[in-house]
Amino acid sequence: MANENSASPNYLKALTIGIWQENPTFRLLIGMCPPLAVTTAVKPALTMGLSVIFVLVCSNLVVSMMRNLLKPHLRIIMFTLAIATFVTIADLYLRAFQAEMSEVLGPYVPLIIVNCIIIFRAEVCASKSNVIISILDGIGTGVGFTIALCILAGIREILATGRFFNISVMPSGFVPWAAMQMPVGAFVTLGLLLGLSSLLTKEKAS
Amino acid sequence: MSKIKFFIEQSWLLLVSSFFFGLLIATANSAWSPRIEQNKKDKLANLMKGLITNALNFEPVIEGIEVAGEKGKKQITSVYKGISDDGTTAGFAFIASGTGFADKIELVIAVDPKCEKFYGCKVLSANETPGFGDKIKENYFSNQFQNAPVGKFALSKVGDPLEIDNKIVAISGATVTSTAMVNIFNAYIEQIKEQLQQKGLIGNGK
Repeated sequence: MANENSASPNYLKALTIGIWQENPTFRLLIGMCPPLAVTTAVKPALTMGLSVIFVLVCSNLVVSMMRNLLKPHLRIIMFTLAIATFVTIADLYLRAFQAEMSEVLGPYVPLIIVNCIIIFRAEVCASKSNVIISILDGIGTGVGFTIALCILAGIREILATGRFFNISVMPSGFVPWAAMQMPVGAFVTLGLLLGLSSLLTKEKAS
Repeated sequence: MSKIKFFIEQSWLLLVSSFFFGLLIATANSAWSPRIEQNKKDKLANLMKGLITNALNFEPVIEGIEVAGEKGKKQITSVYKGISDDGTTAGFAFIASGTGFADKIELVIAVDPKCEKFYGCKVLSANETPGFGDKIKENYFSNQFQNAPVGKFALSKVGDPLEIDNKIVAISGATVTSTAMVNIFNAYIEQIKEQLQQKGLIGNGK
């Protein structure tokens, strides 16, 4: 990870590292609750992804700004305080302006507080890097997480309903797979995608 | 004195941040809470209008009454009166809740002005199993309550769902959710009818 100790901070790397190389879902396997719980359709997955991007960017910004003032034994409590604040704001915003989506997501928006992706980026990057790097890292990691959610949700939505964003995409004789809307569908799809990502990484390495 | 100095040195950032973050949440809450409240009222009004179709508007007639739900668990609810364009009572609606398979089920139940038959029910909130329990939101199940005489319902595993009587045909594969629906109706209706009679809103030629 590029940080202020490096000779010259690599902004591009900070922005792109979370998309594939350190993708929280496919490469690091952290914050796995939303990929399993809110991926029955693309719309809620996208809303969850955007909420996580907002929280990641804001918490990284705040943690980075106060990084020189943080006492080691108080840093986790400070991270949690910042994360909880921005998650509460995101939750209030959704309840006010996206009421339907807020109901679909249920408790999973408030649960972003305990999502390890946020605290992980605060600890690994924001508490050691300057503000620009921290913001870029938040955007990159958030986008990587959102892409993973949308891929999972896209596959599940198409197979479970034959539709994608309410547009019919499957041939007329297609029989919807009800299991894809259930937890088993999430586990199977995630497992196959993790296998595929490992395969791609191995091929790249070889 | 040195203890106070040590305490302030260690915690000043936490205290200042707590104040700042609290202020941020309070600002967001005060700005958006009227809209959040309005969203809740709109949803309830839409559901009630969908049930009592000839009602122009609704007014609460009994607020904050205590009703013994399933297993005697006390629940607080309110009864709303639907008023038609000529000012007469078009029906009554109330919120009823009970424990489903996965989570709490909240319903809006409507009855006619004499509380002799049900106008039907709509799901206010439920997190039942997709593909099974969530079929309570579908018309083929909820229509069984429409125009049914006010009284106790019984659950049946076989039968014709189109037949309107006190037998409710369970959703295949979702017996727990179906039972919960019937229990909610049975737990509330007698108590709500009693409250309406006590307040003089039904009976005595009304």
